[in-house]
Amino acid sequence: MEISTGGGPMVRLEGIHKRFGKLEVLKGVDLEIKRGEVVCVLGPSGSGKSTLLRCVNLLEPPEQGEIFVEGQDICKGPGSAAGEAGWELDFVRQRVGIVFQQFNLFPHKTALQNVTLAQEKVLGRPAAEAEAKGTALLQRVGLGEKLNEYPERLSGGQQQRVAIARALAMDPQVMLFDEVTSALDPELVKEVLDVLRELAAEGMTMMVVTHEIGFARDVASRIVFMDDGAIVEQGPPAQVLDAPREERTRKFLGLVLEH
Amino acid sequence: MQELIDQYFDVGFMADHFDEVLEGFWFTIQLSVVAGVLALIWGLVLAQLRQLPGRGFAPVRFLTVAYIDVFRGVPLLIMILLISGSIPALDFLPEWLRLPQWFGKPDNFWFGVLAITVTYGAYMAEVYRSGIEAVPQGQMEAARSLGMNHRQAMRNVIVPQAVRKVFAPLLNDFIALMKDTTLVSAIALSEVALVGRDLQSQFLNSSGLVLGAIMFLVVTLPLARLVDKLIAREQGRFTRGAPRVEAL
Repeated sequence: MEISTGGGPMVRLEGIHKRFGKLEVLKGVDLEIKRGEVVCVLGPSGSGKSTLLRCVNLLEPPEQGEIFVEGQDICKGPGSAAGEAGWELDFVRQRVGIVFQQFNLFPHKTALQNVTLAQEKVLGRPAAEAEAKGTALLQRVGLGEKLNEYPERLSGGQQQRVAIARALAMDPQVMLFDEVTSALDPELVKEVLDVLRELAAEGMTMMVVTHEIGFARDVASRIVFMDDGAIVEQGPPAQVLDAPREERTRKFLGLVLEH
Repeated sequence: MQELIDQYFDVGFMADHFDEVLEGFWFTIQLSVVAGVLALIWGLVLAQLRQLPGRGFAPVRFLTVAYIDVFRGVPLLIMILLISGSIPALDFLPEWLRLPQWFGKPDNFWFGVLAITVTYGAYMAEVYRSGIEAVPQGQMEAARSLGMNHRQAMRNVIVPQAVRKVFAPLLNDFIALMKDTTLVSAIALSEVALVGRDLQSQFLNSSGLVLGAIMFLVVTLPLARLVDKLIAREQGRFTRGAPRVEAL
């Protein structure tokens, strides 16, 4: 057990349980993410990795277990109202950004408006400031030319980069990425992963659910392998990918790397 | 044959009474626009009340659903008679409410507006609801993840998209509302149907009513075509293929 420094881990999950009806999706997951760490979560579909990610910002409030963000307990026990309202929700959503598989851009807003809307409505930033920040972020993800385009006029890769800029505009401490390249045509994957690489290089704390093994190998500080609602093993990429200890990890990697 | 033409399409008769009928129709338009705008607003309020999240708002949701069911189930004519015949008798109400004469319109105009608004608000609430439910779940999730509360998310993200989706069906409801304003003739408001009816009983000639019907068509036919166009465009956007998040 490592002694935490600098205010402890950015995110700590303890004994997270989540069920959808009769299906137990998460069966007691413990996980720590340190400041500046990039944790890639791998696993077969249905292993609960996306659900785990969505627990961190309470999109899926867990039924059991505790989540700490910057040391603050954001779900006060089972049955709490944390999923609906309360300071926990404000606290976590101001610190944790998320990017979705399906982008979920607001189709009735331009790229720039997508990035400024929450800055103005949630953070109360003046329009000029929000626009300056939004423009800078869109330029940073290579979309300086597309400020006034509507999402339907953008490619999937461009939409996803707008979605990343939109999340970054809220100055999150942690970024969650939920299979952000899975809905993209193969030739568009790289432009999105490059943005993630840059973010990681700048020291952003990231939790990345992905099927991109190559990306995970390059960028992850740690790889977490999940199966059947639990963490099977975790460690540095070299260890988990090249010398997995668990049979299930080996089997999964065999299936993914074969093709 | 001539008899039929004289009864329904007597052009001379129509010309003689054109101004009266037009005045009645103008009244109908005013009633439709005022009640239509209010019903659009009231329907949106109802639809949003119905979507309030959480256990605490369960009674609000229940009452809203009950309201919508009741007012969709009661004939507009009964609402008109009920409201216009009862409110003036409610002595505890101040006179400006009991016998409203706002903007130079008679009290029955406002009772008609109220009856149409409360009835059509219920219809429109259902249309809005279908639009709200047609906005993908991911939109709410994205808005909430950016820190918006439910109200901000509805207002800035969900409702603007929902309204775009249901613009055509709302316009359809507006056409129906416009036609239904003729029911206020039952409370002696000299709108187009009553004017036509009076001409009919006075001269035993229906051409005045036909003229009123034609005036309706002049307005409703273009509106109906517009609805068709909007629907076709919405479907075109959906199928033509630029990658749309909603299509996924």
